[in-house]
Amino acid sequence: MDLDLFLQFLTNGVVMGVFYALSALGLTLIFGLMRVVNFAHGEFYMLGGVTGWFVTSYLGLDFFSGLALVAVAMAAFGWLVDRFLIERVRGQGEEPGILLTIGLSIFLVNATLLVVGPAPMKVAGAVSEGPLFFGPIAVTKLRLVAVGVGIALIAGAHLIIRRTRLGAAMRATFQDPMAASLAGIRTGNVYAATFALGCTLAALSGMLLGSIYSAQASVGGLISLKSFVVVILGGMGSFAGAIAGGLLLGVAEAFWGGYVATGMVDVVGFVLVILILLFRPQGLFSIRAERA
Amino acid sequence: MKRLVLGSLLLAGAAAPLSAQAQDTIKIGMVEPLTGSVAYNGKSVVEGAKLAVEEMNAAGGILGKKIELVIEDGQCTPANSVNAVEKLVQKDKVAALVGAFCSSATAAIMPVAQKYKIPLVTGVSSQASLTEQGNPYFFRAAETDALMAKAFAKILANDLKLTKVAYIGVNDDWGRGGVEEFSRDLSALGAKSVLTEYFDHGTTDFFTLLTKLRAAKPDGVFVAAETQDGSILVKQIREMGLDAKVFGVGSWATADFINLTGSAAEGIHAAVPYASSMDAPRNQTFVKSYEAKYRVKPGKYGAAGYNALNITAQAIARAGNTDAEAIRAALAKTQYEAPNGVYRFTEKGQAYGFDAVLVRIEGGQPKVIASTPVDAPH
Repeated sequence: MDLDLFLQFLTNGVVMGVFYALSALGLTLIFGLMRVVNFAHGEFYMLGGVTGWFVTSYLGLDFFSGLALVAVAMAAFGWLVDRFLIERVRGQGEEPGILLTIGLSIFLVNATLLVVGPAPMKVAGAVSEGPLFFGPIAVTKLRLVAVGVGIALIAGAHLIIRRTRLGAAMRATFQDPMAASLAGIRTGNVYAATFALGCTLAALSGMLLGSIYSAQASVGGLISLKSFVVVILGGMGSFAGAIAGGLLLGVAEAFWGGYVATGMVDVVGFVLVILILLFRPQGLFSIRAERA
Repeated sequence: MKRLVLGSLLLAGAAAPLSAQAQDTIKIGMVEPLTGSVAYNGKSVVEGAKLAVEEMNAAGGILGKKIELVIEDGQCTPANSVNAVEKLVQKDKVAALVGAFCSSATAAIMPVAQKYKIPLVTGVSSQASLTEQGNPYFFRAAETDALMAKAFAKILANDLKLTKVAYIGVNDDWGRGGVEEFSRDLSALGAKSVLTEYFDHGTTDFFTLLTKLRAAKPDGVFVAAETQDGSILVKQIREMGLDAKVFGVGSWATADFINLTGSAAEGIHAAVPYASSMDAPRNQTFVKSYEAKYRVKPGKYGAAGYNALNITAQAIARAGNTDAEAIRAALAKTQYEAPNGVYRFTEKGQAYGFDAVLVRIEGGQPKVIASTPVDAPH
């Protein structure tokens, strides 16, 4: 019985860990690589959920067509935000970007409240709900699909950064923008493409998780906090780090909630961050540390 | 001249052109959470209140004047709610206040209302101690958890044949209060308490908590949670393959809750002070006009806003003027015929006499299975 309990806690933790890694992916790119401290990350996630609700409930699309449409729309949105807003504060240090994204997050939350209201919204799921048992362990089909799509997105984003010309241009630009532009890279486009990719990943995770929980205008704050925890744990700009950070957070929360108390589970992430900052400030897998 | 004053006020960027016409309307201030985690429920309260004002103004208003509702966002936090009240009193010069949803926020604005001698009516805040503070300006037109537990514990224990019960509540004074009151009354009736757990507002994943719940093998699960947390929790109880009977308190008898929860809502029980399916002629009229205006049936909070505004405005009408002492005296003598029974206040300002119901969700509709008037606390 105790082993059953342990296995179920572990499964819960791993599932949550993949979800955390997924929701932090966009921030890994924008904060970790571009060095924009993006406080609007949670709001991009929220917009993904809300537009996901719109395309599945109003336009009547199935989940995966909806996901594709949300990806296109949010990529365009991210591109525009970078070209018209982030562009203006680039190269001026971190503070203007922080102020800008805080302002953007307040604007996005209130615009959403104005347009769709504060009610929680249901995003139609990819598969039917209902329990699925592996021996004593319960999960749902929807969660397994979300874990699968999550892993695919993480792998896809990793391949884009590591294997494509665009990815090479991104890495070059963030290492040395001057040298990159001298070598003929249109850095403006690269910044915008990275921001758009980060925004899209955040939105896709918002829609995916919105189909399991619900989408709501005010979810952004908590998502931003947890994503910063994951990115700091894992190390800036590292996909492996995001996965490790996500899993660490998910499993730690599950065991804390399981064996101690569920009422204070949000404390766990911050304790982990304090520990990692004390003992390994560059994060578990930092790619910046080598360069610093 | 008046236009000049109005113009300069507008130029100053103030929302104060209202005060230029202060003598034309009777103002009632309202503090509710319009942003933040319970914004959705706060909005329902405001909708109910607006409907009440509209109906009264259509019937000619009170004291020969129209009622004007001034709404401020208190965000459910003590600090913001106090700021909102200061603004409503100092700038808008309201005759009475309604608010502030969360018990902690209401507790913070009660001394402010007393300081300015403005009557304050809440239609929501249910923490028992609020009416025990001896604040003569405070009236609670809502149930407390203790009253609900007393009214329904016996019916629940017998109808659901509860022997082992698990208690889950949101981690705030309301959730903890609900869990304590119900576990005390159900334990006294012989249902053993096997698990008590709390979760934070805005939690989305309950699998860890539910793993513990499964290990405790209860036959009934009590839940104190609002629409969003509650719908996700109830859904995940079924996703974990648990078939324990679910019952609890919160805004569950609403279309939104049932829509969000889907088939997992079938068969659950909720103890609520109001359900749109309550079988009273006054309620049918109320549901009809609410649905005509908002295209959704009223829930617990829509009714709460509607009732609180009616109680306040009717007291002002009976007082015959906007003098605070006269309004307070009139409020104490309230005998308001609500969609859900008749509201009266005890000496401490606690409402009683209205009906509370136990509903079961059947076929996507809240079906009333028991109804009982809420007695005055002893």
